[in-house]
This record gives sequence, structure tokens and C-alpha cells, in this order.
Amino acid sequence: MTSRDQYLLLPASRAYIAFTILLALVLNIMPWGRDYGIPDFLALVLVFWNVHQPRKVGIGIGFLLGLLMDVHSSSALGERALLYSLLCYGAWFMHRRVPWFRIGGQMLHILPLFLLAQLVVVLVRMATGAPMPAAHLFLQWVSTMLLWPIADLLLLAPQRRAAERDENRPL
Amino acid sequence: MDRSPPPFFRQGPSANARLLFFGLLSIALLIADARFDALGGMRQGIGNVLYPVQRVLLVPRDAIALGGTYATEITSLRQENAELKRIEALNAKALLQIEQLANENKRLRDLAGARERAAARSVLTEVLYETRDPFTRKLVLDKGAQQQVTIGQPVIDAKGLVGQVTRVFQFSSEMTLVTDRNMTVPVVLQRTGMRSVAFGGAAPGRLELRYLASSADLREGDLLTTSGLDALYPPGLPVGRIERIERGGDNDFVKVLVAPTAEIQNNHLLVILQVDTSAIPPAPPAETIDPARKRSRRSSL
Repeated sequence: MTSRDQYLLLPASRAYIAFTILLALVLNIMPWGRDYGIPDFLALVLVFWNVHQPRKVGIGIGFLLGLLMDVHSSSALGERALLYSLLCYGAWFMHRRVPWFRIGGQMLHILPLFLLAQLVVVLVRMATGAPMPAAHLFLQWVSTMLLWPIADLLLLAPQRRAAERDENRPL
Repeated sequence: MDRSPPPFFRQGPSANARLLFFGLLSIALLIADARFDALGGMRQGIGNVLYPVQRVLLVPRDAIALGGTYATEITSLRQENAELKRIEALNAKALLQIEQLANENKRLRDLAGARERAAARSVLTEVLYETRDPFTRKLVLDKGAQQQVTIGQPVIDAKGLVGQVTRVFQFSSEMTLVTDRNMTVPVVLQRTGMRSVAFGGAAPGRLELRYLASSADLREGDLLTTSGLDALYPPGLPVGRIERIERGGDNDFVKVLVAPTAEIQNNHLLVILQVDTSAIPPAPPAETIDPARKRSRRSSL
């Protein structure tokens, strides 16, 4: 079925999911500067968990975190909230399909999701009176997509441990 | 027979319903905030809660910057020191004359019966970070309502006008750069005394003068300063220099690009001029078209 060997994954713990989301929020708030290539860590982690554990993370959490990011980056309240809600929905929409692909295929799935969600938000924002943003706004999502393999490695790492606990092995 | 079995797992509202709810809520918030500016209280609350987190996260960046400057060699420090001393000596003459000029100005204004201009307080502030919203150009400053910063106060650096405070939290505030699309500054051309308005957003990092006739007397390199006509910006602050004038085309207007004199890109320390924003006269009432007059005009045709 799948084109690579799959581990039988341990269940995901809610505490770990919350920890990773908080860490991504902290990374997003850090002052990287205004360059357009800086990836959106929180969007990446939200999409990741909605693809792998959609019942433990939902659209509501995306909405609230989007509101927080709106206040931090002083954009209109609801701009990022709408973006993250759309991303979480889109991730849920393809959550049965995406894990069957290899990492490259998964990245090809989420890039159009990012771009489409950003396009919808840009259109809504322009309808409420904002000017057209620079085209390299979408560059941010290419670099976010490029972080997907690292997310896959780090975020699923606790679930890829062995099922039996060996007292001579720390993790 | 048409009924499907009950769901095995309790799912709550379906994802489509949730998206609809949160999507409509986000759009409602967007309209309320972007159009009507009605959500200030909510933003203030969240901002005050986020502030300590933001300050803590700035520490690593500042530490790295500090570590970088430690590696500077003594020779470059000596050069910088000598340059600063030279600039200070050049400015000393102007600074010493300022008090005498201010007194003379006050006497002349008394003679002319003009209203006394109140001296504005100012406060030094540090730029915490630049916000990442693609639709606006804003900086976050580390002085807030605690230090009597109010919305509308102009912000300057050593070389000119940088922008205006547009949102105030308890311990920090946001200012919009003068090159943002929604910013306008009333200016006067130093050389000729012609008054105009400079708008931001024409090109990245540039201002433009609009609605000038192509016969206006303009030259590249002309200095524009605030005209003080809006009672908000103190007069005489340098705003920018004319960079390019594009005449021609089939309309009678001329396109003027202005490069700001202030260092918009790399700012760390700025000064907020604490102008009394309550002294600004209220905006004149919007003109309303009388429907009775409009009807009678149409019927007379």
C-alpha cells in the first residue's frame, strides 16, 4: 500500500501537542524581521496536527491562535484567524489522504492549501479596504512548506518510539 | 429504512459547520476592526497580556546584537567616536543659537499678536520590532499609555519625520511609518513656500505628492518640511526630498516621488513628540447633499 515502511505509531499525547503548538507560537512571536521569506511556524504545526490528529486539534484552536497572531502583528483582527481556520479545515479535509504519501507528496499537498488559504484571506482583506499586498507574500508559504520534513521528524518522534519500555534505554 | 445508523463516535458539530461558524466570525471581526475600528478594547486586552511574552522573546535577539558589537575592533570604535564628536561640534553653534532665536521669535510673535506656540514635551523610545502584516508598515515602540503617549503623536528621528503613533497599549505603542498607504502629511516646499500634501504608499519606502498641476515649480532635491497646518505636526520638521518628477502624459497632473529624509529602514531610537492631541480642532462636518435641491435641479432640466 504505502511506498515505504511504516512504524506502528504510539498514540499522541495532548500535552505534547499543546507543547509543540506553544513552541510554534513562541517561534512566530520572535522578532525575525520583516523579510517575506520567514516561515509561519504556527501555521505549519497547526496543519501538521490537523492532518495527523484532527480529533485532538480543531478549527477553534486555529481561530484563537490566529487572533493572538493578529494582535502581535497588528493586522486587522480576524485576518490571521480566518487564515488559520481555513488552514485547519483544509488539513482536516485531506487528513485521510495525505499520510499515504511520502514526504515529497505530502509537501505537494500542503503547498496549494497554504497558497489557496492565503489567497482567500487577501481577497477578503482587499474587499474590506486594504491595498494589494506585495507578491512575495506567497514566498513565506514556500519556506513554510520546506519545513514540513523537519516537522514530520520532530513532531512525530515521540510516537515513533518502541512500544516496550526498556530500562536501559532513556527515551 | 432511510435512516443511517447513529455515529460511532461523538464528533460534535461537523467540520463544515465549524468552518462556517469561525469563518463568518473572522469576517465579522475583520469588518468591525478594519472598517469601523470598533474592537480596540479587545485588542488592548490581548496586547497587554502578550506584552511580557514579547519582551521576553526580544532578549535573545538583543543579546545576539550586543554580542556582535562586542566583537568590534577598537579602531572602528575610535573612528565612530571621533565622527560623533565632530558632528557635535558642528551642531554646537546651532544649538547655542537656538535659545536666542526662540526668544526673538517669541518677541516677534507677541508683536504680531500671534498665538503663543506651546513647547512640546518629547520622550525617547526604542523600536522593539517591525510588524509583519503585509498590508501596513508599522513599528512597535516601548513607550505606552504609562508614559503619556496618545494616538496621533508624531515620531521623529535625528533626520526627519518617521511617522505617527496609531495605537497605544499600556506599556507599548504602535506607530505607522510615513510611507504607509494610509498616511498623509501636510508639507510645504522649503524653496518656494508651496503647500501640498504628501501621501505614503506610492512605491515601497517612498511618498508622493498628489494633485499638483504640471506647471508647479518643482525641482529634484527640493526639501519638504511639515507645514504645521493641521495643528498636529509641529512646523519645520523635515519630511523628505523630491526624488523624481514625472511630467507629461495626457493628464495635467505631475507625479512626484519623495524620498523620506528620516532613516525609515534602520531605526532603533526614536523620539515621540508629545503634542497635545486634544487641541486639534474637530473635523468640519461632511457635506450632505440636500435631496430637495437635487430633485428641483433635475426637474428644471
